[in-house]
Amino acid sequence: MSPFGVLALLSWLLPTAPTFQQLPGIAIERRLADRHGLSVGDTVLLTPKPDRPAARYLVEAVYQPKADPATALRGEYQIRFHLPELARLLDAPDRVDRIAVRGRPGVPPDSTAFRLNQPAFGYRAYPSELIAAESSRTFAVVSRFHRAIGVISIVASAVFLLCIMLLKVEERRLDAAVMRLIGISRATVFRAFVLEATFVAAVGSVLGVGLAAVAGALTNWVYRRRFETSLVFSHLSVEIVAFGVGLSLLLGVAVGALAARRLVTARPLALWRRAG
Amino acid sequence: MTWALVVRSLVRHPVRTLLVIAGIAVAAALLLDMVMLAGGMERSFSRMLLSRGYQIRLSPKGTLPFDSEAMIPAITPILEDLRDDPDIEQVGPVLATSLHVSVGDSLLTVVGYGVDPAAQGLYELESGTDLAPGDSTGLVVSEPAAAAAGWRLGDTVRLQGRLDPQSARAAVERVVVVRGVVRFLYDARGQRSVGADFRLVQSLGRQPDVDPASMVMVKVRADDRVDAVAERIAAAHRTVEVNSVAALVVQFRSRLVYFQQLSLILATISLVVGVLLVGTILTITVSERIGEFAVLRGIGVRRARIVRLVMAEGAVLTGVGAIGGVVLGLVTARYLDAILTSFPGLPAAISFFVPERTAIARAAIAVFVAGVAASGYPAWLAARAPIAETLRADAE
Repeated sequence: MSPFGVLALLSWLLPTAPTFQQLPGIAIERRLADRHGLSVGDTVLLTPKPDRPAARYLVEAVYQPKADPATALRGEYQIRFHLPELARLLDAPDRVDRIAVRGRPGVPPDSTAFRLNQPAFGYRAYPSELIAAESSRTFAVVSRFHRAIGVISIVASAVFLLCIMLLKVEERRLDAAVMRLIGISRATVFRAFVLEATFVAAVGSVLGVGLAAVAGALTNWVYRRRFETSLVFSHLSVEIVAFGVGLSLLLGVAVGALAARRLVTARPLALWRRAG
Repeated sequence: MTWALVVRSLVRHPVRTLLVIAGIAVAAALLLDMVMLAGGMERSFSRMLLSRGYQIRLSPKGTLPFDSEAMIPAITPILEDLRDDPDIEQVGPVLATSLHVSVGDSLLTVVGYGVDPAAQGLYELESGTDLAPGDSTGLVVSEPAAAAAGWRLGDTVRLQGRLDPQSARAAVERVVVVRGVVRFLYDARGQRSVGADFRLVQSLGRQPDVDPASMVMVKVRADDRVDAVAERIAAAHRTVEVNSVAALVVQFRSRLVYFQQLSLILATISLVVGVLLVGTILTITVSERIGEFAVLRGIGVRRARIVRLVMAEGAVLTGVGAIGGVVLGLVTARYLDAILTSFPGLPAAISFFVPERTAIARAAIAVFVAGVAASGYPAWLAARAPIAETLRADAE
């Protein structure tokens, strides 16, 4: 337990009539206060187990917990106690779950943890970075899953883009034939079609970024309401935008070049006939 | 004639046709994966819970089985009461606690399960012999535990319990013999677990005087009586949480709502991509061949047949794409499943992508129907082309 114990309520919670006697104070999180209509000054009955007698507490504060992806999706409510009060409620005096230690400046946490672990019985010391890495393993898995889904989506959109660009340029067979017949060089025709493909890919990319921004905002709005949290579920970073735009431009230009090459290498009269 | 024309039209542009089929296949693969993801977790979870036929779980009040370290106190009278119920076939108490064994000069910590060998729904025997009813000196071990401790069948093991945190000495020790290697159904991948007689593990665990159990598994004689029996147990024992497997699946579903929503969103996107792909390609193809359709109409081919011709083209594209998508989807599902099942602490028996015939058929049919529907607009364009104007424009 940290200086203020944190208890995920497994049992029940009832607001009761205000009392003037000195009661132990607790802080409750805003979601819980909203859900049960509690405010500062109210008294509540708390018990760790349904078959144990309840104790009366005074709501001294309503707080907004820091958004934490590890707990937000569980939807559990939290109450903060003064440590001795929670120990008394749980009937577990002189016991803690965790102790946070701040080292002196310049002392590496690894060496402190190592030194603490040498004579250790009943506890194990870890540097905060290690705990953070371990506790984020779940999110690392989710992140890998998202990346895999992202790769599949990119393949699907790349094929889609290939089809469209190929058709778009092939549609221009007649134009290519006319340009070639009036004496415009192959290189100029090629550049013109590649430029057109680049323009289409660029406009499509801009629209795609806009669509992604709208979809991301919608996702955040829905999930923030659903889980009553301020967490960011969808984050459109500059790197992601650059990757998406870069990839679509690259594909667009490559496919445009491929299709344009087919047009300029064919004989103008053959193109004319096929276009007709 | 229709099918011959369709095949000829598709073969005329092989690159285009292959790209469209590839696009549909990827969209269908994503759709299939998402259909599997949406229902697979629940089916897998339900299958895991029912694998030994126990339909009801009793756990400490306010908790789900193995969800916390809480225990049900005074379990013996509850067990006796359950065994007296004529609707109940078997009652299997389970106690989970930390146990320790000396391996060389270090201490290995394992998860110890106390079970009633006559009614256990916790593990399946892989090699050796099972614990016999009343066997208070036998031990079954998981493969990872056997590998970590170097145990073999017939080895003698000193199980230690209630380790003093200050001196690292065990308050109690029991000598047991390894009878078999088992697969614990609810264990995470690589979890080191052992199983022994319920009373033996109680004596090694915390607070043996309160007669604790972590969970009780109940097998009801008739499946249609499960809910009634669960309600009856809950009414008779208000200090325990009573859940049927169906109720546990509902709880599980609420925890995995994120994946269900994600699968719904991505499945919708993949369907939209498939529809757009087929619709766009066929619309452009129809525009290119509008003169051909006008000629067909001019020589007396009915509009309905033109519509059938274009829609058959869409059907062939989506049909072939859907078949490719099923194959691709099954391959990618294995890869995605390997990622998600690496969640820390997840039972090894849980699978997120369960390839079932209904899921595969549903995804393939959805893609096919969507693709055929998407070819409706280009088919309508082809059928309504004015014959004289189109032919004149084509001639010019």
